[in-house]
Amino acid sequence: MKLFASEGNPHCLKALAALEVTGVQCDVQYVNHEERVVPFLSRPALPALLLPNGLYLFSSNAICRYLFEVSGQESSDLCSQWLEWEATDLQPAVLRALHVAVLQGKGAEVSKALQGPLNYLDQSLSKRTTPYLTAESVSVADVVLWSALYPALSASSLAVDVPKSVQAWFDRVAAIQGCQAAAQKVLQGKGLQGMKNYMQRQPAPQSSQCRDTLSHNS
Amino acid sequence: MALRELSSLEKYLGLKKPNKYSTQGDKKVPVLQSNNGAPVAGLVTIACHLVKQAQRPELLGDSAESRAVVQQWLEYRVARLDVCTKDDIKITLKDLNLYLQDKVYLAGNQFTLADIFMYYGIHPLIVDLAVQEKEKYVNVTRWFDHVQHYPGVRHHLPLVVVLRNRVYTSGHH
Repeated sequence: MKLFASEGNPHCLKALAALEVTGVQCDVQYVNHEERVVPFLSRPALPALLLPNGLYLFSSNAICRYLFEVSGQESSDLCSQWLEWEATDLQPAVLRALHVAVLQGKGAEVSKALQGPLNYLDQSLSKRTTPYLTAESVSVADVVLWSALYPALSASSLAVDVPKSVQAWFDRVAAIQGCQAAAQKVLQGKGLQGMKNYMQRQPAPQSSQCRDTLSHNS
Repeated sequence: MALRELSSLEKYLGLKKPNKYSTQGDKKVPVLQSNNGAPVAGLVTIACHLVKQAQRPELLGDSAESRAVVQQWLEYRVARLDVCTKDDIKITLKDLNLYLQDKVYLAGNQFTLADIFMYYGIHPLIVDLAVQEKEKYVNVTRWFDHVQHYPGVRHHLPLVVVLRNRVYTSGHH
């Protein structure tokens, strides 16, 4: 099993943090952002995990879920729900926020871009009685959401307006040793600047418009 | 759309009692109202929940590796396919075509939930393909045809005619 990652790519933080937290044995190889690791994808997709059966996983959430499962922690429905929300709601918002912050230097707009998802997270967290998102102990959902938010929330220059319960949860996950170690590996302590090279190679994120012609919503 | 997919899945799974659903937010995310426990939100999460309810765990994959592959394509469906722009469509079909080159189904030889939901999601793209394009993405078309003829899957969607014999000779691409 081998994990391919690139420095400064925020998606790689999730996979590296999951690897650290679960302690699963896996080789890690750092490659360039442009490296096409997954043979059937036209665009570079990192992180990528080469499975023991020769197949590749190219989605960071599927990689994290797999690492947790082989370490003996299967995802609950609640975990799955958070992972799906992260992929469909949080991730697009974070990418838009990082795009304006890193490439356009408009740090002030980051709070606005993240407001919706952060409020949603806040509502859910304030209803919960457990210290983590799904349970008394850290789960794949905590690692994935924390990693997704880390680049924006840890940059003091952005001064993102974070609801209190989200901040408390974020700090709790940040205190887990593996998480900080992974963040250091991906961002090299350079914060937003550490992602510049990666962000410049990404297509500009779409605004929230969808595939109008094809959405057959009744 | 999402609710119709879930209703088709319920029929495929042979669940006797239809579940109650609502939607939340601007994007009309489906929410399953459950009698015993918290509501479950999100198309993929609900679909996996229904599969477990019907005690058909093999539809989620029969090993940790195939479970991961199934989850990956389910995520791909909602996070990529559902928001892909016109420009992305060709790349999506090209990549999927290459991926399916040596596979019967998305997780290999076994039919899974990933096939059902990728089929539902890609149906509007395949409907719009011209005959030549169907031949260009021959592995996708073959997979699509397998899935739409898989007993009990198609339900709410019209059948798409796929020619089994090539109209255009090779050298064309």
